[in-house]
Amino acid sequence: MKQLRRIALYAGLTIAAITFIYPFLWMASATFKPAAEAGSLALIPHDITLDNYRTMWARAPFGRALVNSTFVATTITLAVLVFGSMTAYAMARLNFRGRPALNAATIAVLMVPGQLTLIPLYTLIVQLGWIDTYAALIVPYLFNATAILMLRQFFLQIPQSLIDSARMDGMSEPRILFTIFWPLSKPVLSIVAIFTFMGAWNEVLWPLLVVREQNLMTLPQLLTVFALGGGAGTVGVSLASAMVLVVPVVIAYMFLQRNFIESMAGSGIKG
Amino acid sequence: MRAEQKSGSLMAGPYAAFLLVFAVYPIAFALVLVFLQWDLVTVPTFAGANNIRLLLHDGRFWRAVANTFVFLSIHVPLQIVTALALALALNRQLAGRSFWRAAFFLPVVISGAVVAILWSHLYATDVGLINRLLVKIGLSPVPWLTDPRTAMPAIAVMVTWKNVGFYVIIYLAGLQYIPRSCQEAIEIEGASAWQRFRYLTLPSLLPQTILVVTLSTINGFQLFIEPYVMTGGGPLRRTYSVVLYLYNNAFAYQKMGYAATIGVALALIIGIVVFAQRRLIGRAEAL
Amino acid sequence: MPSVTFEHVRKRFGDSTVVEDFDLVVADGELLVLVGGSGSGKSTILRMVAGLEEVTSGTIRIDQRDVTALPPRERDVAMVFQDYGLYPHMTVRENLSLGLRLRKIPRQEIDRRVTWAAGMLGLASLLDRKPKQLSGGQRQRVAMGRAMVREPKVFLFDEPLSNLDAGLRAQMRIEIGGLQRRLKTTTIYVTHDQVEAMTLGDRIVVLADGRIQQIGRPIDLYRAPVNRFVAGFIGTPPMNFVEGTLRENNGQAVFITEGLSIGVPREKTLTANPTQSLTLGIRPEDLRVESSAAQSVDDGSSAGVLRGRVVLVERLGGTSHVHFDVAGGGSRMMASVSNDRLPIVGETIVVRVPPERVHLFGADGRAIGRTAEIV
Repeated sequence: MKQLRRIALYAGLTIAAITFIYPFLWMASATFKPAAEAGSLALIPHDITLDNYRTMWARAPFGRALVNSTFVATTITLAVLVFGSMTAYAMARLNFRGRPALNAATIAVLMVPGQLTLIPLYTLIVQLGWIDTYAALIVPYLFNATAILMLRQFFLQIPQSLIDSARMDGMSEPRILFTIFWPLSKPVLSIVAIFTFMGAWNEVLWPLLVVREQNLMTLPQLLTVFALGGGAGTVGVSLASAMVLVVPVVIAYMFLQRNFIESMAGSGIKG
Repeated sequence: MRAEQKSGSLMAGPYAAFLLVFAVYPIAFALVLVFLQWDLVTVPTFAGANNIRLLLHDGRFWRAVANTFVFLSIHVPLQIVTALALALALNRQLAGRSFWRAAFFLPVVISGAVVAILWSHLYATDVGLINRLLVKIGLSPVPWLTDPRTAMPAIAVMVTWKNVGFYVIIYLAGLQYIPRSCQEAIEIEGASAWQRFRYLTLPSLLPQTILVVTLSTINGFQLFIEPYVMTGGGPLRRTYSVVLYLYNNAFAYQKMGYAATIGVALALIIGIVVFAQRRLIGRAEAL
Repeated sequence: MPSVTFEHVRKRFGDSTVVEDFDLVVADGELLVLVGGSGSGKSTILRMVAGLEEVTSGTIRIDQRDVTALPPRERDVAMVFQDYGLYPHMTVRENLSLGLRLRKIPRQEIDRRVTWAAGMLGLASLLDRKPKQLSGGQRQRVAMGRAMVREPKVFLFDEPLSNLDAGLRAQMRIEIGGLQRRLKTTTIYVTHDQVEAMTLGDRIVVLADGRIQQIGRPIDLYRAPVNRFVAGFIGTPPMNFVEGTLRENNGQAVFITEGLSIGVPREKTLTANPTQSLTLGIRPEDLRVESSAAQSVDDGSSAGVLRGRVVLVERLGGTSHVHFDVAGGGSRMMASVSNDRLPIVGETIVVRVPPERVHLFGADGRAIGRTAEIV
C-alpha cells in the first residue's frame, strides 16, 4: 500500500515535470526541424537543419538586439546594486534629515500599480526627447524600491561595532559600504542582481512604448514585433528567434537554480 | 553627527531626486492627465470630466474589465489548487527534490513573450501540439485561440502554468512553518490524511493562500503580452485586456489623457478588488 | 600632563539628557574606569571620546588639542568593542593591519607592528585565520591587537569582557591590566562590573543617570563612598542598609533603630542634625558574628550589638554569607563570615557592629561627615 502510494507520487511528479519541461524541449527541437516537420511531437528531428536560425538572423537584427538587451540589463543591474546599496546603507545606518520620509515614500511607491504611472512616464520620456535612446530603457530603472528595501533589511542586521571599527580605522562611509558591508552581503546582493537582471531582460511593455527603431530594440521586444509582423513566417523561425532570448537564461538557471528560485520568489513576495 | 548627516544626504540624495522625477511626478501627472486631451504633438487642452464620462460608457473598456474577471475566475482557483498540490507533493521525503522544484520553476524564469509565442504554437488549431495529442487519443481538435468561448480560458491555463512554480515556493515556505509537534499531535488524535489536510495544513497555509490570491489577481489585471502576442485581443474582443486597451490608446490612437484615465481606473479597480478579497477571506476565516 | 580632558560635556538624545555636565581630567598613562549600570551614560561618554557620538555641548581635549568636532580617524584613539567589531571576511592579519594601511603607514612598519602585537598577545600562529575560526578569548585578543598596532594616544575599552564566560573573563582582566601597565597608554575602560572596576582601575568614576557620583582610587570608593548609591554599588557582597534616627545621648551621638543602637564617632556626625532620619550602612565583611553562647556582651544602649535570627546560610567555600533578621522587627541583614563557626538556620546570633566601620547617609543619600571628600 505504502509502496503503491510512493509510485503514484513519483508518477504524478514525473507527469508534472514533463508538462513544464517538454514544451521547451519541443521548442528547442522544432527550431532544428525543416518546415514540413515542424508540427511533429517528436523531440529528435529527422532532418536537422539550421535554416530557421539563418532565416531569423537574416530577417531581423537579432544580434543587435542581443547586444542591446545585454547592455541594458547589465547597466540596470549594476546601477541597482551600486546606487541601491548606497541608498539602503544611508537609510539603514546613517541619520540624516528626511530619512523617515524617504522610508515611507519607498513603501508607498511599491503599493502603486505600475499601470498608473505608465502613461505619465511615457509622456515624460517623450518630452525629454528620449524616445529611441538607451536612456529611455535604462534611466527609469536606475533605482528599484524593492531592491532598496531588501538591502536595507539586510544592512540593518550587520552589527554596529563593524561600522564603529571601520570609522575608527579611518574609513569614509562609502568605503565602509563597499569594503565591509558588500563582502558580508553577498547572498542578498546576488538575490537583487538576479531578479533585477531577469526583470530587465524579460521586460517587454516598456520597450514597446519607448523604442520604435529596430536597431535599438531589446530581444523580447524584437521577438514580439517579429512574431506579430509575420516576419517569422514559419513555426521554426519564430521559435528560433525565441531561443536567442531563452538559451542564456536557461544556462544561467541550470548553474544557479537555487539562487534564481530564492531571488525571484523573494522579490515577488516583497514587491 | 554632522559628518553622518552629510554622508547620509549625499548617499540617499540621488534616490530622493529619482523618486521625485520617476515616481512622485508621474503619479501626480497621471491625475492631471485624467482632465486633459493630448496627442503628444499639439498643446494639451483641458477636457474637464470628458475622459471620465467617456470611460464610464466605454463598452470596450468594460469588455476588457469583464474579460479580466473571466480570466481571474479560472486563473486564481486553478493557481491555488495546482500550486498547493505540487507543494504538498514536494513537501515529502523525496529523491531529487531540488530537481522537481527546479523543473516546476523553469517557466517562471522564461520571458512572458517567449511563453506566449511558444503557446500560440501549442494551441494552434491545425498543427498545434495539443490538438495533435487530442487527435491521437481520438478526440476532435479544439480551436483554442479562435473560439470566443475557449480563448480566455486557454490563456488563463497558460498563465497558471507559467507562474505555478513561483507559488509552489510560497506554499513550500509556509509548510515549513507548521510545527512538527502540531503534525504529531494531530496524528496521535487519529486523524486521517484528509482530516490532517483539512484541519491542520489548509488553515495553517491561510497567509500563503491570501498572498497567492492577491498576487495572482494583481497579475491578472496586468495581463498584456499574452493577448498582445497570441490573439491581439480577439476573437470578438474576448481576450482584450485592460492594459492592452491602455497601450493601444497611448500608442495607436495617441490619446494620452484617456490612456492615463484607464491607468488610474485600473489602479482603483485593483485596489478595490484586492481589498474586497481580503475582507472576504477574513470573514470566511472568522466563520 | 593631562591626556584626556572633559569640560562641561553634555549629551542629549532628543528630549532626554544622557550625560550631564561631565567634567574630568584623565592623567597621562592612567587606566581610568567608568562604571555604572545600564543607562548611566558610561558608553556614551566613551563613544564621544572616540568621535562616534556627537557632543551636544562642552569640549573634549586629547593632549590639550580640542577634538570635539573631529572625526574618529583624526583623534588618534583606538577602541575595543564589546562584540569586538572584527571584520568577519578578513584574516586576523588583515584585521590588524587595515587601520594602518588606511593611514598610509609603510609596509615594513605595518609588518613590524603586527608582529609585535601578535607576539605580545600570543596570536602569531593565528594570523591567517578568520575571526569565525577563533575562540572568544582569541577574538578578544585580536580586538586588543587592532587597538595596539595603531599606537594611539588613548585606548578606549567598551565592556570588552562581557561576552566572555566567567573563567576567561578573569584571565583576560589580568591580561588587560598587565598589558596596560607595560604599554603605559592612557586608557578609558567602561564596564558595568564593579569587580572589573576595582581590580583594573587606577581611578574609578562611578556614574548614575548621566552624572558623576564619585571619582577616586578603588580603595577610596570602598572605604569612603560619598553617597548611598556608590556605597551600594561598590563592594561584593553589597553593603547592608538600615533606616533609623540619630539622638544625642550624654554628649554622644547615638544611631537608633529597631533592635540596635550604636554610638557613632563624632567626626561622622558633623553635618547631621540631631533627630534627623538617617540610613546606616555596614559592609557584610565588617560585621562580627558571635555565637549566642558567648553572652558576655555588653547590652548597653549604645553598644553596637544586635541580635539576629539566622534565616539562610550560603556557603561559598572560603567564606559564607549569613542572612539574618534583626531581632525586634528590624530589617534583613547579611554578614560575611569565615567558616570556623557557622551558625545554623533558626539560631539566634549576636552581631557586633564596629562603630568605626559604620557609614551614615542622610535622607538625600549623601554620606554624612564626608562632604569635604567628594571628588
